[in-house]
Amino acid sequence: MRVALRGLTKKFGEVVGVHELDLEIRSGEFVALLGPSGCGKTTTLLMVAGIYRPTSGQIFFGDRRIDHLLPKERGIGMVFQSYALYPHMTVAENIGFPLELRRSVSNEERERRVREAAALVQVDALLDRRPAQLSGGQQQRVALARALVKRPDILLLDEPLSNLDARLRHEMRGEIKRLQKEVGITAIFVTHDQLEALTMADRVALMRDGVLQAYATPTELYARPVNQFVAEFIGTPPMNFFAADLAPRNGSLVARTEGIELALPAGPRGAKAPPTATVGIRPEHLAIVAPGQGEASGEVYVVEPMGREQIVDVQVGERRLRVIAPPGFVAKIGERVGLRFAPEQLHLFDPASGARLA
Amino acid sequence: MATVAERAPGSGRWPSLVPYVVLALGTLPIALLYAWLLYSSFFLRVEGFTPIGPFTLENWRFLWDPLSVPELRNRPPIIPLTINTFIFATVTSLVGVLISSMAGYAFSRLRFKGRRMMLGGVLLLHSFPSVTLLIALFVVLRTLGLYDKLAGVILVQTAFALPFGIWIMKGFFDNVPWDLEMSALVDGAGRLRTWWRIMLPLVKPGLLALTVLLFVEGWNQFLLPFVFMPSGSQQTLSTLVRGILGEGRFVDYGLLTAVGLYYIAPVLALFVFAQDQLMRIYAGGVKG
Repeated sequence: MRVALRGLTKKFGEVVGVHELDLEIRSGEFVALLGPSGCGKTTTLLMVAGIYRPTSGQIFFGDRRIDHLLPKERGIGMVFQSYALYPHMTVAENIGFPLELRRSVSNEERERRVREAAALVQVDALLDRRPAQLSGGQQQRVALARALVKRPDILLLDEPLSNLDARLRHEMRGEIKRLQKEVGITAIFVTHDQLEALTMADRVALMRDGVLQAYATPTELYARPVNQFVAEFIGTPPMNFFAADLAPRNGSLVARTEGIELALPAGPRGAKAPPTATVGIRPEHLAIVAPGQGEASGEVYVVEPMGREQIVDVQVGERRLRVIAPPGFVAKIGERVGLRFAPEQLHLFDPASGARLA
Repeated sequence: MATVAERAPGSGRWPSLVPYVVLALGTLPIALLYAWLLYSSFFLRVEGFTPIGPFTLENWRFLWDPLSVPELRNRPPIIPLTINTFIFATVTSLVGVLISSMAGYAFSRLRFKGRRMMLGGVLLLHSFPSVTLLIALFVVLRTLGLYDKLAGVILVQTAFALPFGIWIMKGFFDNVPWDLEMSALVDGAGRLRTWWRIMLPLVKPGLLALTVLLFVEGWNQFLLPFVFMPSGSQQTLSTLVRGILGEGRFVDYGLLTAVGLYYIAPVLALFVFAQDQLMRIYAGGVKG
C-alpha cells in the first residue's frame, strides 16, 4: 500500500510539532523517520496511526484519503516503544486481541492466525505466558506478532529497538528488516538512532524541528548530504567541519584556513563561488601521514582505540579534527602528524544557510 | 550518622526494639479497650476491667431470642436490620465504584471543557463536612419522595462517597501508560471497549480497594441513616447501637458490647481478607 503525506501539519497550541510535511512512501517500502528528539517524527507517526488529528494537510493510503478515519478503520498495525503489551492477558490473548474485535473472524480462525503470527516471530512456545514473564526481546516479538496478526496494509514502529540492550538490538535490527521484506508490508519506523535508520530502512526521512531535511536512501544521505545538518547527523563519528576562505587558483578553487590548504577538485558549479564556505570531511576520509606531508598538519590530541579501528583527534591550529586510523597506528599525545584529505570526499556548505554548495 | 555507620551488623538488636516498645505502649489503651469489648460481652457485669459473675452467652441472646431483650422490643428485628445495613453498604459501594471508575477515567484521559474546574470542585466537595448539607438534603429528599426510605439514604451516601472515589480512581488511571490505550485503539477497539477490556482490568487493585473502603464506610455510616430514616422500619445497625446506648436511664453494657461486636465483625473480617488490596490504594499503580 502506497502512503502519501501532503502538507501535513500538527500544532500543539502555538507550538509547531510538524510543519508542511510532504512524503511519498512506495508500496512495500521500509521508511525510517529519523531525527533528534522533539523533531516531530513520533508526532508524524501518530498522525498516520490516527491517534493525533492533523491540524492541516492530508494523508493517503493508496488513493484513499484517510486522515479523517479512526485508528481502527485505517488497517494499520503498530509496535510501540514500550511494546504496550496488555499485562493482564497472555501472549496468545495479546496477539489475538485485534482479531477478537472483528466479528468476521471465527474463534478457530483466530487461534490459527495467532499461532501463525507467533510462529512468524518465533514466540509460539510462549503463548501461555504473561508479558511480565518475557524478556525484552520476546516482548518485542510478541508486539510485532500482535501488529501483524490482522494483516494490516501498513506497519508502524515507534522506536522499536530503543528498549533493548545493545546485543539484542543488533539481532532485532536484522530480524525486523527480514520480516518486513518477507511479509512485503509497507512499513514506517521512527528512530533517533541514525545507525538504525541507515541499516534498516530503504529510505530515510531526516527531520528537524518539524521540518523535513532530507529524504533519500541511506547511501545518498551518507555520500551527498543536502545540508550541514544532514551531514552532521548521519555518520559516526560525526563529520568534521571548519570554516575556510575560498580563492580561485589555476581555474579551480582552493579552500584555505589556518594550518590547512585544500585544492577543491570541482568548485561550486554555476555562478561565482562565495568567498567563504563550511568545509566538511568525514573522519574515515582523513588519513594520518608523516609530518609535513598531506594538506594539513597538527598534533595528536587523544587516541581512542575501538578494536577494528582507532579514533584519533588531531589538533590543527584552533580546531580539532577527528580521524579514523587503522588499528596498527601508534602515536603519542602531542606528536606532530600530517593529515591527508580524500579530495573527492569533501563537502562544501553555505556558512549562513547550511545548504550544500557542491 | 557515625554511630549508624560504625555499628557492626547484629550487635544493635536492642536499639531497634525501642520504636516497637514505644508504639506498643501507645497502642495498649486501644487494644485494652477492644479486649474489654470482647470479654464484657460474655459476662453479665464488668466493673472496671474485672468481670463479675460466670461466663455467659446471655448478652448474645438477641440473636436467637430478640423478644426477651427489653431494649429491642420496640425496634425492628436484628436480622432485617443487618440485611438493610448490608444492602445499604453494598449498593453504595458498588454504585460508587461504578461511577467513580467512569468519572475517574474521564478526568484522567479526556481533555474536555471545564475539566480543571470540575477537578477542583471534586476536591472541594471531598473536604466539605456533610453535616452542613443536612438541611438542604432533607429538602431534596422530601421533594423526591425519598425521605425516610433506604433508597434516599443510599443516594446521599453514594454522592458523598463519589469525590473520594473519583479522586482515587483518577490516580489509578493516571498510572496506566498511554501506550496501552493507543495500542488498543490501533488494534481496533473503540473507547468504550478499551475502557472495559484494557483499562478496567489494569486498575483492578484500585477497584477492589475502593469497593472495600466504600463498603466499610457505608457499613459504619451513622449520621445519614439516623437523620434521614427516623421511623425505624429501615434502620441500620449503627442506629440500633445508638438506640441501645440512648434508651432510658439504665444502659445494659453487656448487651451493648455484644451488639457492638456483632456490628463490627463483618468489617473486621473484610479487613483481614482484603488488607493486601487496601494497602495498594495508597501505594497506587499498576504492576506490569
